[in-house]
Amino acid sequence: MAEKYVGQRVKRTEDPRLIQGLGHYVDDIKLADMLHVAFLRSMYAHARITSIDTSEALHAPGVVAVYTGQDVSSKIGQVPCGAALPDLKVPDHRVLATDKVYFVGHPIAAVVATDRYAARDAIDLIIVDYEELPAVIDVEGAASNSTVIHEHFGDNIAYKLTAGEGDIEAALASADHVVKQRLVHQRLAPIAMEPRGVLARYLPGEKELTLWSSTQIPHLMRTQVAIMLGIPENKLRVIAPEVGGGFGSKLNVYAEEALLGWIAMQLARPVKWIETRRENIQATIHGRGQVGYIEIGCKNDGTITGLRYNVFADMGAYHQLLTPAIPTLTGLMLSGCYKIPAIQMNTTAVFTNKMATDAYRGAGRPEATHVIERAMDMVAAKLKMDPVEVRRRNFPTPEEFPFKTATGLFYDSGNYVGALDKALEMADYSKLRKDQAAARKDGKIIGVGVSTYVEICAIGPSAATPAGGWESATVRVEPTGKVTVLTGASPHGQGQETSFAQIAADALGVDLNDIAVVHGDTAIVQYGIGTFGSRATAVGGTALVLALEELTKKATRFAAHLLEAEPESLQFEDGKFSTDGKSVSIQEVALAAHLARNIPADMDPGLSATRFFEPKNFTFPFGTHIVVSEIDRDTGDVKLTKYVAVDDCGKVINPMLVEGQIHGGIVQSIGQALYEELVYDDQGQLVTGTLMDYAVPKAAMIPWLELDRTETPSPVNPLGVKGVGEAGTIGATPAIVNSIVDALSPFGITHLDMPLRPELLWKIVNNAG
Amino acid sequence: MIPAQFDYIAPTTLDEAVALLSQHADDAKVLAGGHSLIPAMKLRLAQPQLLVDIGRIKGLSYIREEGGQIRIGAMTTHYQIESSARLREICPLLPEAAGQIGDVQVRNKGTIGGSLAHSDPAADWPAAALALDAELRAVSSKGERGIKAADFFVDLFTTALEQGEILSEIRIPIPKARTGQAYLKAAQPASGFAVVGVAVSLVRDAAGKCEAAAVGITGVASKAYRAAAVEKALAGASLDEKMIAAAAAHATDGIDANGDLYASAQYRKHLAAVYARRAITAASR
Amino acid sequence: MKIEGTQEISADRERVYSALIDPAVLQRCIPGCEKLEATGENTYSARLRAGVGSIKGIFNGAVKLEDMQPPSRYRMIVDGKGQPGFLKGSGEIALDEKNGATLITFSGDVQVGGTIAGVGQRMIQGAAKMMATQFFTAIEAEAKARPDEPPPTHGFFRTALRWFSGFIRRSVAR
Ligand SMILES: Cc1cc2nc3c(=O)[nH]c(=O)nc-3n(C[C@H](O)[C@H](O)[C@H](O)COP(=O)(O)OP(=O)(O)OC[C@H]3O[C@@H](n4cnc5c(N)ncnc54)[C@H](O)[C@@H]3O)c2cc1C
Repeated sequence: MAEKYVGQRVKRTEDPRLIQGLGHYVDDIKLADMLHVAFLRSMYAHARITSIDTSEALHAPGVVAVYTGQDVSSKIGQVPCGAALPDLKVPDHRVLATDKVYFVGHPIAAVVATDRYAARDAIDLIIVDYEELPAVIDVEGAASNSTVIHEHFGDNIAYKLTAGEGDIEAALASADHVVKQRLVHQRLAPIAMEPRGVLARYLPGEKELTLWSSTQIPHLMRTQVAIMLGIPENKLRVIAPEVGGGFGSKLNVYAEEALLGWIAMQLARPVKWIETRRENIQATIHGRGQVGYIEIGCKNDGTITGLRYNVFADMGAYHQLLTPAIPTLTGLMLSGCYKIPAIQMNTTAVFTNKMATDAYRGAGRPEATHVIERAMDMVAAKLKMDPVEVRRRNFPTPEEFPFKTATGLFYDSGNYVGALDKALEMADYSKLRKDQAAARKDGKIIGVGVSTYVEICAIGPSAATPAGGWESATVRVEPTGKVTVLTGASPHGQGQETSFAQIAADALGVDLNDIAVVHGDTAIVQYGIGTFGSRATAVGGTALVLALEELTKKATRFAAHLLEAEPESLQFEDGKFSTDGKSVSIQEVALAAHLARNIPADMDPGLSATRFFEPKNFTFPFGTHIVVSEIDRDTGDVKLTKYVAVDDCGKVINPMLVEGQIHGGIVQSIGQALYEELVYDDQGQLVTGTLMDYAVPKAAMIPWLELDRTETPSPVNPLGVKGVGEAGTIGATPAIVNSIVDALSPFGITHLDMPLRPELLWKIVNNAG
Repeated sequence: MIPAQFDYIAPTTLDEAVALLSQHADDAKVLAGGHSLIPAMKLRLAQPQLLVDIGRIKGLSYIREEGGQIRIGAMTTHYQIESSARLREICPLLPEAAGQIGDVQVRNKGTIGGSLAHSDPAADWPAAALALDAELRAVSSKGERGIKAADFFVDLFTTALEQGEILSEIRIPIPKARTGQAYLKAAQPASGFAVVGVAVSLVRDAAGKCEAAAVGITGVASKAYRAAAVEKALAGASLDEKMIAAAAAHATDGIDANGDLYASAQYRKHLAAVYARRAITAASR
Repeated sequence: MKIEGTQEISADRERVYSALIDPAVLQRCIPGCEKLEATGENTYSARLRAGVGSIKGIFNGAVKLEDMQPPSRYRMIVDGKGQPGFLKGSGEIALDEKNGATLITFSGDVQVGGTIAGVGQRMIQGAAKMMATQFFTAIEAEAKARPDEPPPTHGFFRTALRWFSGFIRRSVAR
């Protein structure tokens, strides 16, 4: 295929409608007779509900119905947990609290009313009596806490797991040095620009339920909600309209989604719920939430002998779809870019009185990268070596791929030193170090931080995922020659309407504008898995390539028939099949195939193909981020004065989209490194409950990002793509922290936990205790 | 984030507005730019029964010079002040402070009167009003009075405005020749409000010494305040680095600082001294 | 959140003590207290319209006085719930004589939950200080009033605070 579009900076075809406010998000969809739902949520972290009185609320103006846990728990199945682990404790997770509330924001009752205001007003009229219980908040202490959240489990341990290969004891014993460090990955809120929202409509005659939901996984949700509601899956349609970001927070099946469907069925009227930002921070999944202990062994020359990571992982009060699985992703990626002969991760996953953690951009991998990249810097500090040198010593060479890690993975392809050298050159690393030395003499506090990361993407082989790791695509050339692409991926900001159109346009030799990429509607699109885990292009894009190949084969046979030639003799270029001076366009072929007056006897009419792609392995993008930071001695303020990133996500379909993904990821990393933290006080109150206190970085807080890339194709898929959706949040955080720790190394600092707020840094610099 | 029910009236004259306020007493609230009040209502932390929108009243939004004073109508937006070329010339502290409030949307809606009347302990305007010796004009059905900025801020979200009074105008003596001004702030990363904000207006004598200085500080305590000890140390002093630092060190003398997640009381006090030093330095350039 | 502080009141200790445990006085002095009714010995149900500036909420709850050792100390336990959240606190109040005046030392623990905890992070400390100040200022006015005088009215600050705020030394720490 001629690459006219692939590889080009094609502007996003999604943007004109989004920028003009013409897109349709859930809240933009209004149905006649629609009712509105508001939730009463717990203001206690842990309490027994002794009574609920909804009578006053029921009689409030506009109120149509009020439902409590008692009303619905026997009618609606559990909120699903899709992660399977040995001896995993899975709490009974009902859509509304029944006898106890487990976290601030836990839904207790749903009010249905004629408008949002009436629904919200009536919430204040519900009287709940609570018997407050002690809250389990501290992650490390949860396992031994005498308060047990789910009493019948006997303790707060969700599971314990030991993973890794190699003789870790021997590996650490053989080291010249073992560096140890406790390290915290604070809880974060994903903060998608659009909060969650659900609109449910039930047609009693047709017995059809339609859910419009702001989700990343319409098909998986359809299956799960059908099970929860006990309705036939073929009578449930899920539509993900415009979705304003997810970052993993919408890779889930939430209580509200099933409950809205159920209410619509009860009342036979459409019902809508739009999450408020406060609910979004309280009751949409959180990310990260690990406290771990690193032990890393090294030889005097910098060679790493082994790594042990004992971690307490905060599940929150319940499991959401993937909650328990997230720390296992951390375990898989602990080897980073390095040859480490022995790795062991001991996980103690605990329940706490907080919202569930789950997949937030990076999902377990940022934690792993932070562990290993901080560890490499601590090794460098111990050995008084340049951190770049320590990394170099331990890289596998490009020839060593596929490279097997002691965590049981085979990295597909890589050239770590290539990306590193490019970044070093862009940043002029040796000059940076000289400048740093000079600036230190002038009393300045300047640091240079490097992170060389690898991540796991293109999730994933079905054998390694709970609900299928494949993806699907259908391509149709309609009678008028327009091309429709149906993808099972469910983009929500990534821009696949553009990049998939680029792929299809090149493959079929048609104009980009003649292609419509359709997604996110289970009644239109064949079953698919969804968009998460940096998989949409590597897996969904590959399914599209396969479908395009098949469609082209069919078209070639139709064309050969029309041109009265052998299929093998045809040339297909620029949308035209030609041989011997005769030619026919793909549009003409499509029309002929539909009219079916003159088609080969053994072929079906129409021109379409559907293919599925099952990847044989994950892909492993990688790269190097370099950050220069300066700390204000007087205030502790941090300025990132230089940011260089070289990312290798394999073959690039649209550099602009790739850069957009890297930008966004780095920004969220800056958030984690410097600003963001969900703070629960010791009573379990979420004190960073609005964006007045939860500090999402703003554009003005972001330095200029100098980006470049290397391109090491993945052998795992024919496109050679790897995935880039999460790279920024994985590679950037440790580079920023390493930079600041480096800046403070003259003060004896070898490690700091995030977020690195100015007061903390000021205290270090000024020894204010 | 859905407010409780309320009534809404948009009078077109100040007389009507004050009449409505005295009629409805405790149940009514003035609505100006709505950028403090509406967020509080959406959280249901404020549940007024009646909003009296003063945005339709003509003649509350202006910047003019009269009687040796700069007079700013209460409904003048942060942006109007930020973008006033004349103010940049004669009283640069005002546009400088305005430009550091929130973001573009906030500055286009929020008003100087609303901010002063709200007396958020971390708002920027109170520091500027104090440093500029502003007089705040209050109108009620009983008449009009002037309140000195120094008497206006009483405590957390509490001002000297009486029930039924509308802040109508801010009067600021036109700064004398050889006046230097600055506003500097350490912004809280989430809200953008001041962790510490320091407004300085100082007058130098012919020899370059500080004749008089006024320093307003916000963000540190439950209300903005004049840093009297700093002002005293600056009066008559030569504005060299050492003097300035020594004066600025008094930024929180006698002040009971608050602490929160982003800044403990101790750190806030330290920041106040740093920002005071920087703001005085900037003002003396 | 810990609240502690001291406050000197220029009235004699017996009078201050009896003011501090007199429900009628308490109702007048607890900022925003609209109702304080005895429900048992030293136990009251209360309705509070508490808040600062335009930020207000209605709380219903109970106030309990314990370990009463007149005129030197007692414990106060407050538990309130309302639309904006809940508020719980308990504290020791000790009264010492000091040159004819009374030195009140209070130390306690206050917990807030719900909206006020989730959105008021930066304000809680200031609000707690403000309410403590209002309370003790009003108590001082009560204790100083002569028995035959009508009880003072507390327009919170505008009346009493102006004279006394200078005496207040307190510290409130999270
Ligand atoms: C996202 C965001 C960021 C912000 N960042 C900052 C910041 O960095 N610095 C900063 O200082 N502020 C900031 N603000 C607040 C902003 O400046 C507000 O505009 C200002 O505090 C209030 O002005 P307003 O005109 O919006 O008043 P409103 O919200 O309409 O009113 C506020 C209060 O004052 C009363 N009131 C208003 N006008 C009068 C009057 N003329 N007379 C008597 N009473 C009156 C109202 O009844 C109400 O109680 C921010 C706000 C937002 C939403």
